[in-house]
Amino acid sequence: MSVDNFKTNIYEYLETLPKVTFLRLFEKPATCLAIFRLLPSIGRQIVMSFLYVEAEIQVQDVNNWVNKDGEKMLPEALHKLSRLRIFEQKSSTLTMNYTFRQEFRNALTGGGAQQSFGLPCSSPDKHPVDIPFLDQYATQQWESILHYMVGTSSNKTPSRGVLNLLERSQLMQYGTDNPDTLQITNKGFQFLLQDVNTQVWAFLLQYLNMAEVLQMDLVEVLNFLFQLGSLELGENYSVETLTQTQQQMLEDLRDYGIVYQRKRGSRRYYPTRLATTLTSGNMAIAGAALKNVTAGDISKTAATGNSGAGTTVAAVVDEESEQGFIVLETNYRIYAYTESPLQIAVLNLFVQLQSRFRNMVAGVITRESVRNALIKGITARQIISYLETHAHPQMRKKTPILPLTVVDQIQLWEMERCRLKTHAAYLYHEFNVQADFDAAAKHAKDIDVLLWSNPKKRTMVITQSGHDQVKGFVKRRLNNPRG
Amino acid sequence: DSNLLVIILDTNPFVWAESAKAPHTPLSLDDALRQVLIFINAHLALKYNNKVVVIASHVGHSKFLYPISDDEITKHRISGERNANMYPNFQFVMDQIVASLQELLSNTDVSFLEKDSGTSSMITGAFSMALCYIHRITKNDDLGHIKPRIMILSLSPDSAAHYIPLMNCIFSAQKAAIPVDVCKVYGEETAFLQQAANITGGIYVQVENPQSLLQYLMFAFLPERYARKFLNLPNQDQVDFRAACFCHKKIVDIGYVCSVCLSIFCSWSPVCTTCKTKFAFRPMVPPSPMRGKPSPISK
Repeated sequence: MSVDNFKTNIYEYLETLPKVTFLRLFEKPATCLAIFRLLPSIGRQIVMSFLYVEAEIQVQDVNNWVNKDGEKMLPEALHKLSRLRIFEQKSSTLTMNYTFRQEFRNALTGGGAQQSFGLPCSSPDKHPVDIPFLDQYATQQWESILHYMVGTSSNKTPSRGVLNLLERSQLMQYGTDNPDTLQITNKGFQFLLQDVNTQVWAFLLQYLNMAEVLQMDLVEVLNFLFQLGSLELGENYSVETLTQTQQQMLEDLRDYGIVYQRKRGSRRYYPTRLATTLTSGNMAIAGAALKNVTAGDISKTAATGNSGAGTTVAAVVDEESEQGFIVLETNYRIYAYTESPLQIAVLNLFVQLQSRFRNMVAGVITRESVRNALIKGITARQIISYLETHAHPQMRKKTPILPLTVVDQIQLWEMERCRLKTHAAYLYHEFNVQADFDAAAKHAKDIDVLLWSNPKKRTMVITQSGHDQVKGFVKRRLNNPRG
Repeated sequence: DSNLLVIILDTNPFVWAESAKAPHTPLSLDDALRQVLIFINAHLALKYNNKVVVIASHVGHSKFLYPISDDEITKHRISGERNANMYPNFQFVMDQIVASLQELLSNTDVSFLEKDSGTSSMITGAFSMALCYIHRITKNDDLGHIKPRIMILSLSPDSAAHYIPLMNCIFSAQKAAIPVDVCKVYGEETAFLQQAANITGGIYVQVENPQSLLQYLMFAFLPERYARKFLNLPNQDQVDFRAACFCHKKIVDIGYVCSVCLSIFCSWSPVCTTCKTKFAFRPMVPPSPMRGKPSPISK
């Protein structure tokens, strides 16, 4: 679910780019690979199958290739392929974009000279850092931003650039009473409940928007972001292969905790977990207790950062389920096994916390607490998806993950707030003659503007848009009484 | 969902040598390996969490080419040098496979050529290793996120001596819902592998133009289990359902079947060797086409 969220965000952003930008984007194999992974399953299969076929493809052939079940998914896939400019559809044939074809082949074979997958530093670092340090750094940076948003006291205020970004993306706004400090908005509350990947991408997309204004080359920014997604955790990379724009980006990315650089002008940089999981959708930060690669017996390779190897198949699964720390009971009680003040602050938004222990907080979801959250602008859907994504592994084993009673009740509490719907309307009353009233009511019903009528009291309510017509009708009728 | 692809590569050097000299459609191990490596990279490119395992089925034994343990990595002196042009995952996998394969082929025991089993490779051994690996991985995976499948790249003919173990492997794969795909690159049709693909719901392709092996692989064997529901993939019209007899390991069309344990024999015997049931009557004589009247049933 979280994977689809940020994928759709990136996809929507990419759709807005002009064709020329795409042609430049496709020049780097790393970008081709990242964009390829955004496609739906059928789309990916189509690209792979026709990658090495030079001839033009008939659309009819593709239709025949997909069976009945897939017919519904095919048009959407083809649409996405053409919107991302990978394929061009002309009448009945499909042609693959030439640059994309060449560079994607290079991505698969390791050819080309683009060096788009990041050049590791040849000389060893005098001050090497290891993976736990990087994780801690990333968590610290990222959480300081979130802490600032929530308003919990923390020592660091984020840098000028970050504050600027927060304000432009409408997650926070300058308060009316004290114009110096930022206060969180409704959108900001919703942002807090999302998972880390979606949050990071929301920031980055906003950054992209700003980049256009600041005259930074959009293509280079995107290339660098996609390149970050394909780097290895724990490996240090040289800044030699980066352009001016990209080196400038490094500073901004330091503030978000996406890369680590010892000093501003340092010649090497380390991607953190936030960077390596940019395009993968895997949960970025594992929370306070990071249990690193649990397949420790077969993988001493963890230290060298070969986290993509087949040896860590089990670890990948563990990473996902270890994000969960919330246990929700059918009696609305919540137990959250976390010590992080940020998580507790987020929970405080919609849960009435009752007790706090060294490694756990316990609370109850009540009508009051959920109403407070709803008033702040958080929707029931977001509360439920937050609970689902952070559900404890024990909870995940059941279907459905969350107890239905609680889920339904949260939605009902949300619907309670929509008990009244207002329409701007006009009230007609004091008809002296029943016949007049009946005729007017019938006329109003015919033109579909009647909201409510009471024949006994001879009153009716007409919508604002229909008021003029009904008024005209009644006037005409009163002037020409039909006896 | 992560897809785990286990590739069983037939590395019988003798058959590969024949295939490289084939008159119209030569394919040497080098060519094929290049194309298979691109196919593996394509599989890893589909999703960030796709995984691959490569097992070589050699003469007389089978071996994991990837992933291999750390001691072997140092033994083969695989350089950890990174190339900025290649995605790290791809490079890591490719280096290991190439190094292990080189070591495997250089240590081939030539004495196998003299024995009868010279022309067949240890597919059964590799198959069992694949199933054990998949079982180990799925045991840790409570939430069912890992979807395994097996792909066999086969050249050597069937080895009837391994009929029983092979069928056992095929039935285990069927029970575990693991599709087995077979790509026959060179050589004649193999009845047992056809049956394997048929029973487990996999794909069987006899490659007609081996130089374009990559296109066959990308088109038919790349789609993951989820995508297979939506695509029309090559199907077998006729499956060769012949079996091998349990007594002499000959491949038979018509034979005798024990009614208790269903083991197959080419000639009648009073006691079934598998389940030790005694059959105390003399066998029926099959009616010959020349006689006019049906023969009386002997008791």
